[in-house]
Amino acid sequence: MQSRIEKFILFLWCGFSFVFLLSPMVVVMGASLHGGEFSAAIKFPPTDPSFQWYTKIPWQQFEAFGLSFLVATVATFLAALIAIPAALGLVRSNFKLKFLVSSVFRAPLQIPAIVSGIAFLQLYYLLFDNSNIMLAGTIPGMLIGHMFIATPFMFGTIVAVLQRFDRRLEEASYSLGAGKWRTLRRVTLPAIMPGIYSGGLYAFMVSFSDVPMSIFLTAPGFVTYPVELFYALENDFDPSILASSSLVIVFCLIMLLVVQKVVGLETLLRSGGGSAR
Amino acid sequence: MENRWFAYLIPPFLITLVLVAGSQYVFIENSFYEDLGLGRTGNEFTLVNYFNFFTDPFYMQTFWVTIKVSALATFFTLFLGFPIAYVIARMKSRIAMLLLAGIVVSTFVTIVIKVFGLIIIFSANGILNTTLLELGLIDRAYSIIGTQEGVVVGLMHFTIGFSVLLLYSVVITVPPSLEYAAQIHGASRWRVYQRVIIPLCVPGFVVGGLMIFNMCMGAFTSAALLGGGRVLTLPVLIQRTVMMEVRYSTAASIAFVLLISVILINLISLMAIRRFRSARLVIA
Repeated sequence: MQSRIEKFILFLWCGFSFVFLLSPMVVVMGASLHGGEFSAAIKFPPTDPSFQWYTKIPWQQFEAFGLSFLVATVATFLAALIAIPAALGLVRSNFKLKFLVSSVFRAPLQIPAIVSGIAFLQLYYLLFDNSNIMLAGTIPGMLIGHMFIATPFMFGTIVAVLQRFDRRLEEASYSLGAGKWRTLRRVTLPAIMPGIYSGGLYAFMVSFSDVPMSIFLTAPGFVTYPVELFYALENDFDPSILASSSLVIVFCLIMLLVVQKVVGLETLLRSGGGSAR
Repeated sequence: MENRWFAYLIPPFLITLVLVAGSQYVFIENSFYEDLGLGRTGNEFTLVNYFNFFTDPFYMQTFWVTIKVSALATFFTLFLGFPIAYVIARMKSRIAMLLLAGIVVSTFVTIVIKVFGLIIIFSANGILNTTLLELGLIDRAYSIIGTQEGVVVGLMHFTIGFSVLLLYSVVITVPPSLEYAAQIHGASRWRVYQRVIIPLCVPGFVVGGLMIFNMCMGAFTSAALLGGGRVLTLPVLIQRTVMMEVRYSTAASIAFVLLISVILINLISLMAIRRFRSARLVIA
């Protein structure tokens, strides 16, 4: 029921937004193919395209990528361990201060990441003063911080799915003779799986691309990929980071295809990935 | 029966509470001791850090710049995000899926890479300047790197993916049947926008806008890289105070001011949510 003019305006408006949204990634990928000698100016569109910079990515950046991947995977897993029981417990029990408990779980999202970063750094220093355990600059310290910022994403999406869940399915399961655990495992968990998947995806991506939290928890030789890139942009620029950035973009595209295959993109919209924030 | 679910809640709640309260308490307490530089602090409880913050024009200037760039970025993000959200919500076509895929990719790719691309596009000898110069539209190269405009563009890239998801959840609360009904009664498309879609979406826009404003206030990466050290916002200032000047309790006091501002904005949006029906649906 839309007129032609309206469609045209929407089309132009969307087109403009989209060019704005995607152009940085296109430019990075394009410039990484530049084949000539390295000069101060980055060439886009690339002249004499070649993959030469891809062969010159320093080992350090692969290590950083590996660390980011490891931290994001484990932090997502830890966040799931917290968020799944928390969401089940919160949606299904009835008590007066439910609102407050929910806002504690969502708090890490409301606190700016940079504030969480400095807070965790000081918490780790305090712990070091009192017990000689140094968490800053170690994998456990990084994991705790990333789990902290990733949990609300899983919590939000799982709560959103649970609120629409039909409890009669569970009653049916009980009346057919399944026990509590069996019902949880065979009925409830499969039903909330889309929420877990999309929440997990958000959690993974938030952890994987985080700078403000990680920048305080890294140490020399122990740097996540976004932080490595951050320092490279701030200080010494090298065209090989164009190549490694392009590889990360390709990695994100692959993730997108996996999501589309496993749960479908619309799930990300419906499970309230946005409202979790 | 209900007690079993309550038991599920306790361990995760305790862990989260310890992490939230523990970390916040440590740095907030730290901000109340005088900063002696190089990570040392005084022993007496004092408000001197806060006094310094609110009397130093440099800090107040930074505070004001943070609010200004965040407000501008919020406005433009909503402006660019709305058509995408509307198309995704209303049209179940290939184009809508393509738009959605683009949004998701853009949300997933780390903001550092996007900022990298922005630097390539907008720098003095970047493609935008060279193209405009060749076309004769400008007579000299302009660069937005290191200016407030640059920071605004960076913040927009940081929030636009989220804003589309948020606006989408606002638009789907307006049933298409309302649009049809208005048209059957003789309203033009323009009038449908004016009298049906926009009035029903505005409360959601207000709440969503406050959330995006909040994200911008706390945004570090894009502000740091596109500000290039010349434009400071509160998050950038916090990181510099820690990493370059090693003044922990000063940084903690700035962080606390930022935290309080953000919490105040959250409270305002909560109150707004209670007032507007369609805004409540954004959260549910």
